[in-house]
Amino acid sequence: MKTTETYLDNGATTKIDPQVLQAMQPYYAERYGNASAIHSFGLEAAEALEKSRKVIADSLGAKHEEIYFTSGGTESNNWALKGIAFANKSQGSHIIATKVEHDCILNSCRWLEGQGFTVTYLNVDKEGFVDPKELENAITDKTILVSIIHANNEIGTIQDLKTLYDICKKHQVYFHIDACQSYTKTALSAKDADLITLNAHKIHGPKGVGALYIKTGTKIIPWQHGGGHENKMRSGTHNVHGIIGFAEAVKVALKDKESLARMRRLSDKLIKEILKTPESRLNGPAGEKRLCNNVNVSFLKIEGESLTGYLNENGISASTGSACSSKSLEASHVLMAIGLTHEWAHGSLRLTLSKFTTEPEIDYVLETLPKIVEKLRKISPLGRK
Amino acid sequence: MYTEKVLQCFKNTHYAQEMKDPDAVGEVGNVKCLLPEERIHKNDHLVCIKNISKNDKIISHDGKYHQISQVYSRKCKEKVITIQNKLGKTTLTAEHLVYALKVPKKRKFFDTIVKRTIIPAWYHAEDLEKRDVVLYPVFNEIEDKEYIEPDLSAAKFDFKSKKIPSKIELNADFLRLCGYFIAEGHAIVKPTRNSVRFAFHVNETKYIADVKNITKTVFGLDVSIREEPQNKLAVVIINNVFVAKLFQSLFGSGAKNKRIPHFMMLLPPEKQIALIMGMWRGDGHLTLKRKFPRASYTTISEQLIHQMKTLLLRQKIVPSVYTEEEKMTKGVLHQEAYRIHVGDRNSMIRLMNLLGIDYNYKLEQKDRSWFDQNYFYTPISGLEEKEYQGMVYNLEVPGTHSFATNSLLVHNCGDIMRVYLKIKDNRIVDITYLTYGCVAAIASTEALCKIVKGKTLDEALKLGHKDVIKELESLPAIKIHCSSLSIEALRKAIEDYKQKQPG
Repeated sequence: MKTTETYLDNGATTKIDPQVLQAMQPYYAERYGNASAIHSFGLEAAEALEKSRKVIADSLGAKHEEIYFTSGGTESNNWALKGIAFANKSQGSHIIATKVEHDCILNSCRWLEGQGFTVTYLNVDKEGFVDPKELENAITDKTILVSIIHANNEIGTIQDLKTLYDICKKHQVYFHIDACQSYTKTALSAKDADLITLNAHKIHGPKGVGALYIKTGTKIIPWQHGGGHENKMRSGTHNVHGIIGFAEAVKVALKDKESLARMRRLSDKLIKEILKTPESRLNGPAGEKRLCNNVNVSFLKIEGESLTGYLNENGISASTGSACSSKSLEASHVLMAIGLTHEWAHGSLRLTLSKFTTEPEIDYVLETLPKIVEKLRKISPLGRK
Repeated sequence: MYTEKVLQCFKNTHYAQEMKDPDAVGEVGNVKCLLPEERIHKNDHLVCIKNISKNDKIISHDGKYHQISQVYSRKCKEKVITIQNKLGKTTLTAEHLVYALKVPKKRKFFDTIVKRTIIPAWYHAEDLEKRDVVLYPVFNEIEDKEYIEPDLSAAKFDFKSKKIPSKIELNADFLRLCGYFIAEGHAIVKPTRNSVRFAFHVNETKYIADVKNITKTVFGLDVSIREEPQNKLAVVIINNVFVAKLFQSLFGSGAKNKRIPHFMMLLPPEKQIALIMGMWRGDGHLTLKRKFPRASYTTISEQLIHQMKTLLLRQKIVPSVYTEEEKMTKGVLHQEAYRIHVGDRNSMIRLMNLLGIDYNYKLEQKDRSWFDQNYFYTPISGLEEKEYQGMVYNLEVPGTHSFATNSLLVHNCGDIMRVYLKIKDNRIVDITYLTYGCVAAIASTEALCKIVKGKTLDEALKLGHKDVIKELESLPAIKIHCSSLSIEALRKAIEDYKQKQPG
């Protein structure tokens, strides 16, 4: 029997904020106009849409025409990579990413490799940081784009954007960052990159909506062709209610600095207490360079899928980078890239907090988790004669 | 993804505990599944898996050497599958995991570059079909070496050989000469004569001159050339005991046993070009006027053909490896021979470029095999199923959990299960287990215990993984091997019991 519902998979998606839901409500059944239409229904929607665009733009210190709405992080990342690649083909065909990108970046890169582009995948150190020197060495006169995940979705490593962007500017290559996990949780502005991927559902907004910030003057091809929406760059009827919700979620998040401090305190507590377990380790950096809501730990001699399975039985939702939990039976590429052996990666556990996570919930996890680890170790033949 | 029954078995682990004073114990570390004669890459050469031992090094998916921590073997009687691709054939049990791409079978999709964007995963051998693409690691150990030091100790019976330099630089000239030797040469180290001989066709004047020049610049020696017009041969001879000893020690003697020394396999790929060039000039054959132009390399040394395969893969050239059985043609007995064909467009362009041959490949052709940074991708060209009875083998590779056979990259599963038995009058009166693994692994061992308890040994031996799945109602396709593992642990425990019985 599930005694409680402790949702700690906010890195996957978050619960919608009630205030966001309320803001979206009228746009389903009352103000349902198509934002491209010229009647009052349409104008009403268009006005709300542009207000939302301004909210997102302001959050980055960007111009409102630099924000393009999309269907989410995956689309924005696909557009950034493929759009830059094809628009700048005459300048070169080399792209740089890292070994710890989200699958939507890695698989877009793989696809581009099939289209005649070459991709360099940068190594990261044992905490997940890119070495600026390695980036600089990887840039050739054929390089057109560097794409790096701002805060890692699995291990929470926050990259030093300024140093990396300076290198890109020096060599005149575009710099794209995937900020799905970091947006509103850590400092981010339009001055940090040429293209920034944003999305709503990681910040208590609705699913199916995101944005791509594209700096004025960036050479990129249009993504979807059709009725000429989004300045002819991304056609398709606007997801008005989703966009309204997105902007509302940003407004709520930016006002709420308190939650960030609380998430930081609670995840630090989790890490500190969990690491008291014998044969456990933290994956990713500790302290300020770690995303405030991310905890990723590993336990030897147990396997992550059964660990999350038992946590789920106890009402705790979490995720793992174990090979057994993936469709391809491959351990998490991020954990492998930071140099974990299969044994450590196999026993990994990711707990991601949100502003709704409470201290009693964390205490409940700290009470439950060691028991499960102990149980699984008890039925594990490893380390026994 | 799991059924309620699986979750029940996972949650309620009645049988999960250590047993005090068990009558028998069986442990499995992974699916054991290759047949005894299957070749796998150990260090730089191929050996039969049955001859592999603990601490040997194999090549994993990262293209690097990894040490084996354990070798497993067991008797089996089950379905095995032979998978064939350009690199050869490998036979394994049906649930063994193979690294591959599942390609939709529409012709259009198969022929387009789009299939290269499919994400590779581990598939059970029995789920693979013809035209699915398997991945094979490109050997990636590099250890540069500047020079070698030949053995210059005085040779018995030889008083006239000039000393050669004490350090021989591993440059393009010397490596090309090595290539000629591997293909055409033999070394004689005998009291009466000490020499290295290269047998060229009389028309191969360019190569004869090359050998002559290299011998002069590398060893400071002159060659003598003896023509045998009746055989259309020109034999280039280096009369020197030190050179003879050097070549014999480097490459072995007798055409059947020739091989490339390990350190040469480790040289950077750009250095190996000269070696490949020499070898192809000797043993290679170009048929550029065919409708589909191709190049072929023939040798009677099995090790050499696989070394050539490795060398070509490192140059991103696609080799097709063939074995020709012993045969009689025109009254001449031909020994078993091995051949590599290179035929696809990009590979031909690369090979001709490497061999320094000006060649314009006109034919437009879609390449069905390709490379990325770490892997060679090639479609399955044939699949065969058969019933097999005998020993099967597998390896435990800590860290990477995979190893390369002659033609496939296979997985060793990370799950570990141990089964304890209490036996009375040939009946299993109690059974417990310990499992390190996923939800399906734990549920499989739990289900196994449920169905085994109370059965006689003979009844238990008749159980298969399908009985475990039946007890669990179903398992996701990718977790089928968990049920096989549990059955294997049981069989192993019963074997352990039988061995302990007196008589």
